[in-house]
Amino acid sequence: MKLNTLILFGFVLLLSNCTRDLSDDAVPATFPANGEVYIDGFSAGLEYLPFGDSYFEAFSVDEETAYAGESAMRFDVPNVGDPDGAYAGAIFPDYGGRDLSGFDALTFWAKATKRGTINEIGFGQDFRENKYQVTLNNLELTTNWRQYTIAIPEPSKLTQESGLFWYAEGPENDEGYTFWVDELQFVKTGTVAQPRPSIFDGQDAPIQSFAGVTTAITGLKQTVNLGNGQDQTLTVAPGYFEFTSSDPSVATVDEQGMITAVSAGEAVITATLGGVEAKGSALVTILGDFEGAPTPTQDPADVISIFSDAYTNEPVDYYNGYWAPFQTTIGQDDININGDNIIAYSELNFVGIQFLENAPTIDASSMTHLHVDIQPREDIQPDDYLIVRVADVGPDNEFGTGDDSSGEIRLDQSNLVNGEWYSVDVAFSDLAGLTGRSNLAQVVFVSDATISSIYVDNIYFYDDGGGSGSTGPDMAAPTPTQGAADVISVFSDAYTNINSNLNPDWGQATQVSEVSIDGNNTLRYGGLDYQGLELESSTDVSGMDFLHIDYWTENSSGLNAFLISTGPIEESSALTVPTSGWASVDIPLGDFSPVDLADIIQFKFDGNGDIYLDNIYFFAEGGGGGDEPTTAAPTPTQDEADVISLFSDAYTDVPVDTWRTDWSAATFEDVTVDGNATKKYSMLDFVGIETVANTVDATNMSHFHVDVWSADFTFFAIKLVDFGADGAFGGGDDVEHQIDFEMPMQGGWVTYDIPLSDFTGLTTRANVAQYILVGQPTSATTIYVDNLYFYQE
Amino acid sequence: MRTPILFETYRPLVNMIFSLVIVLLFVSCETDETQTVITLTNLTFEDDFDTDGPIDETSWSYELGDGTDNGLPAGWGNNELQYYTDRPENIKVEGGMLHITALQESFQGAAYTSARINTKDKVEQQYGRFEARIQLPWGQGLWPAFWLLGSNIDEVSWPQCGEIDIMEYRGQDPSTLIGTVHGPGYSGGESVSKEYDLGNDRFDTGFHIFGIEWGPDYINFYVDDVLYNQLTPEDVEGEWVFDQPFYIILNLAVGGNFVGPVGANTVFPQTMLVDYVRVYSGPN
Repeated sequence: MKLNTLILFGFVLLLSNCTRDLSDDAVPATFPANGEVYIDGFSAGLEYLPFGDSYFEAFSVDEETAYAGESAMRFDVPNVGDPDGAYAGAIFPDYGGRDLSGFDALTFWAKATKRGTINEIGFGQDFRENKYQVTLNNLELTTNWRQYTIAIPEPSKLTQESGLFWYAEGPENDEGYTFWVDELQFVKTGTVAQPRPSIFDGQDAPIQSFAGVTTAITGLKQTVNLGNGQDQTLTVAPGYFEFTSSDPSVATVDEQGMITAVSAGEAVITATLGGVEAKGSALVTILGDFEGAPTPTQDPADVISIFSDAYTNEPVDYYNGYWAPFQTTIGQDDININGDNIIAYSELNFVGIQFLENAPTIDASSMTHLHVDIQPREDIQPDDYLIVRVADVGPDNEFGTGDDSSGEIRLDQSNLVNGEWYSVDVAFSDLAGLTGRSNLAQVVFVSDATISSIYVDNIYFYDDGGGSGSTGPDMAAPTPTQGAADVISVFSDAYTNINSNLNPDWGQATQVSEVSIDGNNTLRYGGLDYQGLELESSTDVSGMDFLHIDYWTENSSGLNAFLISTGPIEESSALTVPTSGWASVDIPLGDFSPVDLADIIQFKFDGNGDIYLDNIYFFAEGGGGGDEPTTAAPTPTQDEADVISLFSDAYTDVPVDTWRTDWSAATFEDVTVDGNATKKYSMLDFVGIETVANTVDATNMSHFHVDVWSADFTFFAIKLVDFGADGAFGGGDDVEHQIDFEMPMQGGWVTYDIPLSDFTGLTTRANVAQYILVGQPTSATTIYVDNLYFYQE
Repeated sequence: MRTPILFETYRPLVNMIFSLVIVLLFVSCETDETQTVITLTNLTFEDDFDTDGPIDETSWSYELGDGTDNGLPAGWGNNELQYYTDRPENIKVEGGMLHITALQESFQGAAYTSARINTKDKVEQQYGRFEARIQLPWGQGLWPAFWLLGSNIDEVSWPQCGEIDIMEYRGQDPSTLIGTVHGPGYSGGESVSKEYDLGNDRFDTGFHIFGIEWGPDYINFYVDDVLYNQLTPEDVEGEWVFDQPFYIILNLAVGGNFVGPVGANTVFPQTMLVDYVRVYSGPN
């Protein structure tokens, strides 16, 4: 290497001597027109750089075997699997650059120890741009010295070429061998003629693409006729070609032969090499902008993916099983747009992705949903449909046995739009028929040829985390507070609902389901476009004042509620979306004018997004009996001897530490009702009453009594706490029990006589110290309390 | 009127080298003393092909078909594959050139068409310089020729009439020219022939002038300004029949014994371009 450097240095000096004679004007840099590569040793500047994974010792200078002169290049091709490198390959560059434009071919003499076929041999590879790389494939060598010629596709390009020679050769029938190359040089043969360049191997290649997508021109070849009359076809770099687009506003092509789609339309990409028109072309059809499927947002830890660039995919048997004899569908995972892999099915009637035979089945028992993105590539007609089916093969891992099950979702014109992605997020619980998901084995698409061309992406199962995030509310809607007597309920667990059809077929796309959230039945509108709700019979709500709706959405940007009377006469009220948690509205019924409130037949919602609805009811303002009691609680009738009273005008009360502990969530007030002392708690969530200083021994008592009045509570609870033998909070001997009362009567005194045996958790009651009252709506409830005592029946 | 010609391609290398030595000897030593140079000022026939359209039939005649009309076996006696036509697709004058084009097409039972013309009974001359400037086609199986036949062929028949092949060429051998004479006792495989290798050039990438200078007892073969062969009565093993008028033939054959089959990669159409044909009178 040192020698080469010295030679190169000498050359530079020589060059500067020459330029001294020229004018002071700038002159283009010129490079030596030295065609010699290896004659009897390395030519000036030549280097040997083997390929990184090749057998480094393959090349040597052989001073015993030579075609002419004193040495030849010797190449020892290793045996198959040689740990030092399983093939021989190198480049021989001169990074000083050579002007080869005066030559038309690289020629050399070669022979081999046996008949060998050099896989690749040529020039122009320099480990840099390889801008003018030329490759001759499958050069056959004999055991005798023969001269070989590799044509320069277009000599005028090679004014400063570094890549003077390269080759790559593997064993022949697993066996290594040796070949020699000598008198390696670029020459002007004068007989390289009849150039016939081609692109796409001479074919007119149809290319469908999308704006912004870049496609490489392939099959770049130059065929020439050599002096021996033989044709030679070379694989050549794009740098030799000039490329042209018939319409650069549709598609451009750069000097590297990269076609970039610009906008919708058609263009033809052609090429010339050395002024000769290349055979073959690209017939580019740009379909327009391509938008990939929405990028999945599920945490990879919650996903089992079958096909997605966003996740690590499980292995599959295939993305298209080509199920004979009836399947017509072609295509699988064969589209890649800017690194986005997409499945393209065409001629679709049905097609299946399977993971069963050569890939394990998928246990999705910890997953909750199936996701798949689908884009139709054609207009969708009213009768068109696409069924997405998931099949479980059962524990026996075999289809056709009794433990198989499958469930499906059907998409149609209301979901699918030509050229637009539709995202399916379907809960396994909504895939009726899929009774197991521990051995999922297939995802199947069925159109029965109604839809023939679709793109599919992001097929995965995921766990929605129990309802968090984008999949819905994680808590129930607020419990209604209206007294049942003042309510006409359509959809609520809190009231008796009038009969209705929650999902009349009005041609809508909305996916309607009832889901249980926190134990509360909730109405879900998935992918709302519009959705009706039909009352079984005309309903008179003219005695009501408001329509109440609880709703939840995080992805809707528009939501309207309609009330409809016969006519139809309808009027809407816009709901604010999206919501932050549950939103409740009380819409004055006057807002729905001119709808006839005496003749309500339907509801309708329109808008978009996924909507959760609950507690749809009409109610009358004010309640039946006002918001405070006008009469005193009933006077107790128990014999005083049988009573331990905390608060009552009828008995002597035991000491009570407080009627509202500090830790209570309520406002407390002593009031008089109808001349009778009464405890009033408002803004109640819960309130604690304590007899800690003098705990109550209720061991001999059988019941707990309390009278409660509320205009607005929907829930009431009583908790008793016994501090145990130590008579103090804590200490490990505390016991307690709470008894709940759903939907207690509003607007009247409610008398509770509760057997202490019902307080099953209250296993001791010798040191009762706390009495906790709970009301709902939380922090919005007002209760009046009287006659709080234990008694013995 | 062609019958089989010697397969020059199989001549051993040793002979080729020997021939080359002969030529060098000839050129360096004998030319000045024995060669009689034709006077190029005395032009007796010229077709520069300057009028677009069909050939000038005052000078040229078409030879059509597969040779059977000429009393030869189909394939012009050489198993040639083409059917000659006078259609402009096969022969025309355009852009100052005569185009004789071989097409790959099914025509009258043949797989190829091409053209062949001669000056029989129109331009015939004894002695002189006959030359043509031609760019040749290329590819395995193409066989263009510029040649002369004795005008008395109808009376004495071939090979007694004599044949002078000023230029023959195999499409698969794009740098090699063959010049030949045929006569009684030295025709076909016994003909007297010589190849000339153009070296660092080819006959299909540019025009070259192919000519003979012909006088009593000699025929000198030229390409461009290179004299590459001289034949005299001593060189032929039979009667020297070249002291009578001859006429000119231009044709492009496809396939046949001389060139072998058409190659799978041979490109069609292939055209022989003739810039001009000129005849000068020679020494008497």
